[in-house]
Amino acid sequence: MSDRPDYLGPSYMLGTPSEPPPTRAQVWRARARRLLWPPTPEVLAALFAATVTGLGGYGLLFAATLSSRLPSPIDWEAAAALVGRDARPGDIVALAPPWAERAREFLPERLPTRPDVPLVTNSFLDYATEELPGVRRVWLVSLPRAPGYSGDIARELASRSTAIDGPQQLGALQVTRYDLQTPMRPLYFFPDRLSSARVQVGEETCAADAAGGLRCAGTPSLRVAREVREVDFLPRACISVVASSDPARPSAIDFPDVPMGRALRGHTGAAGDGGLGAPVAVRLRVRVDGEEVGELEEHPRSPGWHAFQFDTSRFAGRRLPVSFQLSAVQPTREPICLDAMTLP
Amino acid sequence: MNIRSTKTRLAVLLPRSPSRRIALAWSLGVLCIAAATAPAVGISRDESVYLEAAENYAHFWMLAVRSPGKALSLVDRYYAVNREHPGLAKGVYGFTHALLADGLGITGHLQGSRFGAFLFAAVLAGLLSMWGSALAGAWGGSLAPALFFLVPRHFYHAHPAVLDLPETAFWFATAYAYWRSVGGGGDHARSGRWALATGLLFGAAVATKHNGWFLVPLLFGCWLAVALPALLREGPRALSARFPSAFLSMAVFGPLVLFATWPWLWPEPLPRLRDYFAFHLHHENYPWMYLGRLLRDPPFPASYPFVVTALTVPAAILACMCGGLVQSIARIVRSLRGYIEDVSLPTEMLLSANALFPIALIAWPTIPHFGGVKHWMPAMPFLALLGARALVNAGQVLVPRRPSAVTGTLAALALAPAAWQVAHVHPFGTAAWNELAGGAAGAASMGMQRQFWGDNMARVLPVVNGHAAPGARVWFQEATWLAVKEYQRDGRLRGDLAWANGPEDADISIWHYHQEFRDKEFRTWTDFGTARPATGVYLDEVPLVEVYARPGAWR
Repeated sequence: MSDRPDYLGPSYMLGTPSEPPPTRAQVWRARARRLLWPPTPEVLAALFAATVTGLGGYGLLFAATLSSRLPSPIDWEAAAALVGRDARPGDIVALAPPWAERAREFLPERLPTRPDVPLVTNSFLDYATEELPGVRRVWLVSLPRAPGYSGDIARELASRSTAIDGPQQLGALQVTRYDLQTPMRPLYFFPDRLSSARVQVGEETCAADAAGGLRCAGTPSLRVAREVREVDFLPRACISVVASSDPARPSAIDFPDVPMGRALRGHTGAAGDGGLGAPVAVRLRVRVDGEEVGELEEHPRSPGWHAFQFDTSRFAGRRLPVSFQLSAVQPTREPICLDAMTLP
Repeated sequence: MNIRSTKTRLAVLLPRSPSRRIALAWSLGVLCIAAATAPAVGISRDESVYLEAAENYAHFWMLAVRSPGKALSLVDRYYAVNREHPGLAKGVYGFTHALLADGLGITGHLQGSRFGAFLFAAVLAGLLSMWGSALAGAWGGSLAPALFFLVPRHFYHAHPAVLDLPETAFWFATAYAYWRSVGGGGDHARSGRWALATGLLFGAAVATKHNGWFLVPLLFGCWLAVALPALLREGPRALSARFPSAFLSMAVFGPLVLFATWPWLWPEPLPRLRDYFAFHLHHENYPWMYLGRLLRDPPFPASYPFVVTALTVPAAILACMCGGLVQSIARIVRSLRGYIEDVSLPTEMLLSANALFPIALIAWPTIPHFGGVKHWMPAMPFLALLGARALVNAGQVLVPRRPSAVTGTLAALALAPAAWQVAHVHPFGTAAWNELAGGAAGAASMGMQRQFWGDNMARVLPVVNGHAAPGARVWFQEATWLAVKEYQRDGRLRGDLAWANGPEDADISIWHYHQEFRDKEFRTWTDFGTARPATGVYLDEVPLVEVYARPGAWR
């Protein structure tokens, strides 16, 4: 027995700190882990029952609330009355979600005060890049509580607008007006002036048919008309034209008196199932006052609404003839959808 | 006294076994509900062809009874219609039409043919209940048919006189008979009869649709997976002892039933069989919307059948089915590792393989992807069985003293939203999407196929009858001329309305929303000078059918 101190003297080693007490979260985690792992039949059955209960409850809630999330006919009537009352020339209607095309059944097709002015209802998917020629204001009719709704279209329109009026809540519908910051104002939109154009295949001039198009007697498949056609799933108002495959006799659409600006802009695309038929490339040449300003090729199997723009600043301020010549590499019956405009 | 005696007589008619009574109740219930709700369901493209074929086939068999020689000389005339598919189911439709519509005159023409489809649905419900009872008692027998028929797309398929539900019923029946033949259900004494039934039912499956042929590798694979260790251990001599006689029965009766019920084959069996298989091996790919893409050509996404199943089966039922499948696979794994012994490996193999194989088959990237869930529908009754057993087992495990209370509560939670969906969506079964997709609206936002084959037009027929100008020419677009003729024959469409080939020569256009046909709708706008529909059919505000009219054609 000795009371002497340790001959090595006091230790210089630090003592091991004691474990801090577990937090409440750690305690619960440990308990949950002990409870769930290894999974016993009771745990698995409880998980299964919880999943069925949760999804069953969600299913009931979804079914019970669905009708209140969607517009009634009265809501559509109210939206139609509002848009019909306040719409002006240069307005269009956009839909969100784009599938809400029931709107067409209710909304006016023409301005009630100006029956000569159409009021187009669009179901485009994307308004960030859509050009909207001639449009000054967009009325967005949206179903914000519909399943699958996203605010993308509203955000895209807001990003290109100077003023936003709304939203006005009309039951399950919202109506918002967007005044575009920089509207694209064409001097001349070629599809709308097709009736003043002369269409030829080689030397043969095509005549108007009963359906409002132009048909070429020698080659009846070559019809030119102002139509709404599907290009890449969307409706496009355009000149629908079947290109001639004879290099000596191209299809030509001549507009005699076009006010020219700094640019000639337009789009081409395969109409309908055109892109799915025999893959035939179509070449487009554009001439202003007999001088070629540009050419392009609409490639087969490249679905889309392809934009083109040619510099016409040297012709700006004058009224000149403009000619579109189309020729196909091989014989084809599939039409091309062509729109074009002159821009100031 | 009278009431009592009537009750006694009825009791004598009823089966004694409770499981058979439940099955009978399910069969009768499905038959009555399908018959009552069928008139709202329109005629799809394929159904219109099958209806025409069914009546032709019935005429052939009636002629065969009266004058066999003459009938044989006219096989090609009667059976040329829809020779792409064998004749059994269409023959049944022709028979019920001949009996109920032409003979007794107690139904319309369409309902008379469709009565055969209701019968197939009733048989499937009864078999599901029987197998459900064998697996999980009375609750199993009660829940398995409910888990199948309360899926809106399956409920829809109980109505039209087409081939997919009959094929599902025969597939399921073949698997059930095979299971009984190898001792499933504990009845070894009658395994010979069940083996015979397996062959006959397999014959009925291949005589309905070509999917049935896949039962051969599937059932054989299930057997081999279980028997292989013993075969390797005991050598080839064990093969004769262990080989199920059901396979021999299938080999004999499968081709026989096909040949007997499909007179088209009789004049030139081999060349016509070759043409038949060649048609299905090189089947056309129809355009189909999937997650915003229009699928036109292979390779198709392998995810397609899995995603579409997940977005069309009501979510809680889906959970039951997935839970049941996981349970079955876990039982197989645990049994193979020797952890548990009270598992019938052949039964679990059979159920799991049948629940997965038809879905996996359609997932193959070169197999055409179209037609919603119908092409892998044979998997769904097996998933319903497994789901029912999982619900029953959950009750037994969670509250052993009152398992029925838990199973009943869970079943109510799983089935109530599904029943609501069925009621809400009917008769637009091809447009049904579940709550995970967000219903029809959510699916439209996701870019999924909105509907198919033109039957949703039936909803606008009363409006068209009321407003179309006399003698108006109507473009029915996705509906076939045979379907229009059928509507007119049953008095559902005015007889003076004439068929038009396109919007350009029509006064009224009934346009069915299909993304790939959108150009035809836009051309209608041009031709009619308006983009404003006169009326339409909408499901949760999603357009399914739009009716356009020229000025003066709509009154």
